[in-house]
Amino acid sequence: MKKTRSLEQKEAMLGWWLVLPATIIILSLILYPIITNIISSFFKVSLMDRDTFVGLENYRNIVSDPEFWRSVMITLVYVVGTTLGTTLVGLGVAIVMNKTFPLRGLVRSLILLPYVAPVFSVVYAWKFIFDPVNGIFMDVMVERLGLFEQRFNLIGNPETALWVAIVFSIWKNFPFTYLMILARLQAIDKSMYEAADVDGAGRWQQFRFITMPELYFVLGSIVLLRVIWNFNKFEDIFLLTDNLKVLSIYTYFKAFVGVVDLGQGSALVILQFALLIGFILFYVKKVLKW
Amino acid sequence: MVKARSIPGKIGLFLLIILIVTFSIFPFLQIISTSLKYQWDWGNPSLIPTQVNPDAYKELLNIGQDEKNVPQSVLDLLDDSDLTKQQKNEILDKYKDSSDVFPFLKYFRNSLSLSTLAAIFSLLLAIMGAYSFSRLRYRGRAVIQRGVLFVYMIGGILLLIPLYRIAVALGFLATPAGTFTALLIIYLVQTLPVSLYMLGNFFRTIPYSIEEAALIEGVSRFGIIWRIVIPLSWSAIVTVFIYCFMIAWNEFLFASVFLRGYEQLYTLPIGLRSLFVSKNAIWDRIMAGSMLTALPVIVLFMAIQKNLTGGLSEGGVKG
Repeated sequence: MKKTRSLEQKEAMLGWWLVLPATIIILSLILYPIITNIISSFFKVSLMDRDTFVGLENYRNIVSDPEFWRSVMITLVYVVGTTLGTTLVGLGVAIVMNKTFPLRGLVRSLILLPYVAPVFSVVYAWKFIFDPVNGIFMDVMVERLGLFEQRFNLIGNPETALWVAIVFSIWKNFPFTYLMILARLQAIDKSMYEAADVDGAGRWQQFRFITMPELYFVLGSIVLLRVIWNFNKFEDIFLLTDNLKVLSIYTYFKAFVGVVDLGQGSALVILQFALLIGFILFYVKKVLKW
Repeated sequence: MVKARSIPGKIGLFLLIILIVTFSIFPFLQIISTSLKYQWDWGNPSLIPTQVNPDAYKELLNIGQDEKNVPQSVLDLLDDSDLTKQQKNEILDKYKDSSDVFPFLKYFRNSLSLSTLAAIFSLLLAIMGAYSFSRLRYRGRAVIQRGVLFVYMIGGILLLIPLYRIAVALGFLATPAGTFTALLIIYLVQTLPVSLYMLGNFFRTIPYSIEEAALIEGVSRFGIIWRIVIPLSWSAIVTVFIYCFMIAWNEFLFASVFLRGYEQLYTLPIGLRSLFVSKNAIWDRIMAGSMLTALPVIVLFMAIQKNLTGGLSEGGVKG
C-alpha cells in the first residue's frame, strides 16, 4: 500500500516538473504584466524617473476625452459589423460547400487562402484595390459604372475606411467560420431531413427548424470568439489604415506615438479589458445560457 | 439532402461558387498581376500585364543588382579603358546606392530565424506540459489547464505596454541581441497556449495501453515521451510547429515597438511596412514582397491541409 502511494506521489511530482517551465513562462509574461499594468494605471509613468502616484487621474483624463468615446463607438461598429458579416458569409459558404459539385476539393482549398495567408502581405493587395489612382475599385465605380464623379481615397478617409476594414476582416476570417460550421453541418443526421420531406416541409422550413437549432451552439461560440479576437484586433486595421482609431490603435498612439504616456496607456488597456470581460459575462449568460 | 437539382438550381449554385471563389482569391491574383507589371501599366484594370516585368522580384532577391544604377556611358567607358579591375570596381562602387536597396533577404532571414526558434522552443515546452496534462494526475492540474485557455483570450495589445516596460527595465532593449531575445521570449509565450492546448488534445487520443506496457517493462516516463509519444504524434507535432511558426511570422505589434532603432533586426511585417511608408511608386516591389512572404506560408499550410481542418475545429488558431 505504501509503495503505490509513493508511486502516485512520484507521478504527481513529475507532472509538476514537466508543466513547470511552461507555467513559469506564462505566469511571468502574462499574469505578472497584467498585475503591474493595473498598478501603473494609477501612476504617472516615466521611463527615466520614478513613477508618481496620481490616483484615478489617468482614468478621469480618458473618460473626459471625447476622442476616447469616439473610438469606443468605432470599435463597436467594427466588432458588430465584422462579427455579423463573418458569421453570415461563413454560414452561406458552409451551406454551399456542403452540397456536392465537381472540383469540390479544389474549391474548398482555394477558399481557405485568405485565412492562411499572412495579414501583413495580403493587406497591400487590398490597399492597391482601393488605391485612388491605380485601384480597380475606383476604376469600376467611376470609369465603368459612373457612380461617382471622380476618384477619391476610400482608405484615407476614416468614415469610409471603417467599411473597407470591415470587408477586409470578413474576407480574412470567413474561412475559419465556414470550416467550423461545415464540420457541424456534416454531423447533422440526414434522416431528419428525410422525415421532414415526408411531412412535406419546404426547404426554408427545414433550414429554420432543423439546421438552425443544430447550429445554434456552434454559431454562439464562433460569435463569441470573433468578438473577443476582433475587439483586440490591431494589425489587420493598423496595416490597412492608421486613420481608423479603434480602441487598440487609439491606445497604441497614446502610449507609443508622439507624447509617450504609458500610465494613461495602461489605464486605457484596463478599460478596454473591462469592457470586453463585461460583454463576455453578459453574452455567456444570455446567449450561450451557461 | 440527396435530391436531384433542377437546371436553374444548378446554374444558381454554379454562379454562387464562382462568386465565392472569386471573392476569396481576387486579392491574390491582384498581387501576382501587379508584381509583374511596369509602372505605366498599374492603372490598367486588367489582371494580365501588358508586358511582363520581373524587375521587382530581381531587386528583392538581389539578382543582378550590381550594375543597375550605373549609366550606360560609364559602363562603355569602363569597358574600353585600360584601368585595372580594382580601379573599375572603385568607380562602380560610387554608383551603388545602397540606401535605395530594400534589404528583403535580410528581413526574410530575421523573420525565419525568429519564427523557427520560437516554434521549436514552444514545441519543446509544450510537449512536456501537454504530456503532464494528459497523462499524469496531480493537484492543480485543472487550474493550470483552464488558465492556459484563459490566457489564449488575452490580446497582444493588452500586454504590450507592461511587457515593454519590463523589457526596458531589465535592459533587454539596450542591445540588438537583447532585443532579439526579448522578442523571441514574447513569441514563445504567445504560441505556448495554442501548442499546449492542441498537443494536449492529441496526446489524449493515444491509447494509454501502449504506455502501460512500456511502464511495466521498466521504461521511464521520459523514455516513454521520447520513444512512444513523440513518434506516434509526429503529424500533430508538425502541425503545431507550423501554427506556432505562423503566429510568430505574422506578428507585427510587438516587433513594431521593440525593434524601433534596430533596423538590422527588422522582421518582414515591419520591413514591408517601412518600405511602403518610406517611398513612392513602389507597388511592384510591395506586391512582389507580399507574394514572396505569403508563398512559403501557403505552401506549408497546403502541405498539412488535412490536419489543418481537424486542428481548426479542435479549437484551433487565433485569427
